[in-house]
Amino acid sequence: MVSLNEEVIRKVIAEVLAEMVPSSETGKKAESASVPKAASSMKLVEKGEAEKSSDPRDVAIGISPGFGVGFNETIVGTPHSEVLRQLMAGIEEEGLKPRVVRVSHTCDVAFIGKKAAELSGSGIGIGVLSRGTTVIHQKDLSPLQNLELFPQSPLLDPETFRAIGRNAAKYAKGESPVPVPTKNDPMARPRYQGLAALLHNKEMRFVDPKKGPVEIEVAFDR
Amino acid sequence: MVEKKRSKRFQTLEDRPVHKDGFIGEWIETGLIAMGSPNDPKPSVKVSGGKIVEMDGKRREDFDMIDQFIADYAIDVSITEEAMSKSDVELARMLVDINTPAEEVRKIFGGLTPAKLAAVVDKLNIVEIMMAMQKMRVRQTPKNQAHVTSATDNPVMLACDAAEAAYRGFAEIETTVAVFKYGPLNALSLLVGSQVGRPGVLTQDALEESFELEIGMRGLTAYAETVSVYGTEGVFVDGDDTPWSKAFLASCYASRGIKMRFTSGTGSEVQMGAAEGKSMLYLEARCILITKGAGVQGLQNGSISVIGVPGAVPSGLRAVAAENLLTMAMGMEVASGNDQTFSHSDLRRTARTIPQLFPGTDLIFSGYSAVPNCDNMFAGSNWDIEDIDDYLALQRDFKVDGGVRPVLEEDVIAVRNKAARALQAVYEELGFPPITDEEVEAATYANTSKDVPPRNIPEDVKAADRIMKEGITGVDVIKALVKRGYRDVAEAILMMMKQRISGDYLQTSAWIDESGYVWSAINDPNTYQGPMTGYQMSPERWEEIKDVPWAIRAEDV
Amino acid sequence: MAMELNEQLIAELVRKTLKEVMGSANTPVDAAPRGGESKNHLKVEDYPVASKRPELLKTPTGKALEDVNLDNLMSGKVGFEDLRITPEALEYQAQIAEAAGKAQVAMNLRRSAELIKVPDKKLLEIYNALRPRRSTKQELLDIADELESQYNAVVNAKMIREAADVYERRGLLKSA
Repeated sequence: MVSLNEEVIRKVIAEVLAEMVPSSETGKKAESASVPKAASSMKLVEKGEAEKSSDPRDVAIGISPGFGVGFNETIVGTPHSEVLRQLMAGIEEEGLKPRVVRVSHTCDVAFIGKKAAELSGSGIGIGVLSRGTTVIHQKDLSPLQNLELFPQSPLLDPETFRAIGRNAAKYAKGESPVPVPTKNDPMARPRYQGLAALLHNKEMRFVDPKKGPVEIEVAFDR
Repeated sequence: MVEKKRSKRFQTLEDRPVHKDGFIGEWIETGLIAMGSPNDPKPSVKVSGGKIVEMDGKRREDFDMIDQFIADYAIDVSITEEAMSKSDVELARMLVDINTPAEEVRKIFGGLTPAKLAAVVDKLNIVEIMMAMQKMRVRQTPKNQAHVTSATDNPVMLACDAAEAAYRGFAEIETTVAVFKYGPLNALSLLVGSQVGRPGVLTQDALEESFELEIGMRGLTAYAETVSVYGTEGVFVDGDDTPWSKAFLASCYASRGIKMRFTSGTGSEVQMGAAEGKSMLYLEARCILITKGAGVQGLQNGSISVIGVPGAVPSGLRAVAAENLLTMAMGMEVASGNDQTFSHSDLRRTARTIPQLFPGTDLIFSGYSAVPNCDNMFAGSNWDIEDIDDYLALQRDFKVDGGVRPVLEEDVIAVRNKAARALQAVYEELGFPPITDEEVEAATYANTSKDVPPRNIPEDVKAADRIMKEGITGVDVIKALVKRGYRDVAEAILMMMKQRISGDYLQTSAWIDESGYVWSAINDPNTYQGPMTGYQMSPERWEEIKDVPWAIRAEDV
Repeated sequence: MAMELNEQLIAELVRKTLKEVMGSANTPVDAAPRGGESKNHLKVEDYPVASKRPELLKTPTGKALEDVNLDNLMSGKVGFEDLRITPEALEYQAQIAEAAGKAQVAMNLRRSAELIKVPDKKLLEIYNALRPRRSTKQELLDIADELESQYNAVVNAKMIREAADVYERRGLLKSA
């Protein structure tokens, strides 16, 4: 499972840090991210079984079993509507088409991302868990590989989600974007790790191993 | 809305660092419980025809892959029925009884199943766990491991910090990267720096398994430890391995003459949402037995990177100490955690380390951050270099050997400078991007990577690629050092590489002293049997620990 | 004293060792490259071997331990290929581990001795093939056969066959 594979995490954190050489003021606390708490909400409408798209301009966002239903915000309180809004806006900014699918058979961000990538016409997918953990995946990679992984959910803010959307679209266009810089806060562990375990186990209750991916129409409330 | 009137006392308490830590209640059905889940299996064993046919309430045909591996490789079939017939309390008492030698305990415990092991240590309170650790630790002399990393992978800083860590007394030094591609260069910096600081220090570059094996074969590192095992079949498979694949990997390392240990820790299964309702400690007992069954000499445990999970639930830190103890009881080396940020509270993070520091373990930390945590690419350790004088004070206050020693500023400066110059010479000989005198000077006197000039990363990365592509080995490093007059450093690296001819350091809990002599559980076994036995600090070592440079001397006043 | 160790000798030695390992755990094992000259069965007192019994150790090209020094390295008399472990050394360490009551460690060291000859790339391939859902049962059995026939890695082959059975029972094989 990718979200805990130490080597993978280190590798990704490492690669990301590479991109932010001078900015060592990584201490920007997750909780200080100015999130308009529950400022927006949304409706997720199931549109039947998700099918593989043939449109090379589409980038699929795979949401986890409990996303927007059992849970409404990430571990640091970013509303799920805001997560999706930012991811989709990021993709649109690059001129591509976001698409949302719910993956119900697993709660593993790697497999959710991989499934989204497989359904996506561009072959690029994003996987996102309720607590915020996110991955950018590509259909030809093995599940435990990825294009970019954001394992530290407490450090993901709306701007990061937008940048993730943007980068996913860039990969879809065949570019090699600079990985999204993430923050590195050593004190996120003592604060959030126990809670993350709790949330993960809660979300596991929404897993339905028999249910295939479902197409989702997102209606944001204005 | 009426505002609730608040107590100033409680408001003050809420602002204390401990309130930034996450605390969560037990949630038994998912396994968010440290020890003694009602869902843990009832211990049992049945042997038939020389094979275990039932273990912990499961029949052999129902064994998952972990059960089978443990039953066939880890548990001593000849003694298991006798051992399992003893009560939990009787076995728990054996662990702390000074009249029962460790070897005798180990023989009986070799027959215990995972559920029994977890149940037995649940009968011990934290002080008893510490007493048992003092007796059961496999090697008599405690040692320590350090992290040496750099937020910018600055090679000069890494060499200086490795030299300083080695000089301060750490027996092992572990690095990893900020930028993945720097891996080979970081290994090189650690190798040169560590052997300047103190010949014999073992170095490690934690990255990714095939890379670690390759760089080890080249003689650029001496050991590996990030080979993870898990306590449920589901999590093990999600981690893309099985006990058989990991056992094979372990043999690969030894076949190349490289020391290695596995890694596991309480909380990893529940964090992945797949603990099957079992307690963290029961699942960890399975990891410990997988490691034993694979014939691996040691284990890094003590929750490790998941410490925030047991750290958040009741009795979690007792479970973390208990898992260290079980590793010792199984006869293995333990690198006992304390290696990850654990708490905002200085009080809690100190207390978290006491169960390993006071009784002593093979490697009390795995590791202690020998760089400031802002440079720690393992996401921060429970203690860092800025806490080192506190640590030295604890050694002195309690007359306990924490594996490091007080040092003088001028000596550290000299050692750092030599390491930087030696690396500068190696870079020049190998045609790598030059290390300037200005960089040497800055790194010699630096505290963090921010204190040194930035490097040209793409050029460095090209050099790192060259190490891999051109097959540069420790021998090339030795030759470069000799050519440039660093014969003593070259001798030390050759001495390290020579270790793989004998394989002496493949034995349990091995470390290498300054002369190249190997010490391990074989020739330094723990003989503790009560007061005035076991590890007795030598008078020289006590003088060293006592002599913190900032203490006021009567004669100076 | 400095007996030449060639590949053939090593192979013979490994074969012999394995036979004994496979035969009975209680049979004293003589793995020393000394023919009938003397029996070596190392004990805890012989450890560390490099310090206590250096005369027993040779490099893979047959050099004595004392010949591995800086001058010889600089002059090219010894090289990187000498800084490797031999099956004999691993067998000595296995004997010592056994004498210290560490049966599993001894087994691992003996499995390792079998793998010395297997090329690095091959080792990593086998490791990957052993990961879950990577191989069909037949593929695993073929690897076991190859290890046994080409490298005389009998114990490793046995373990891989066993893995094939467990993987089959637990649904961890690649669907064919």
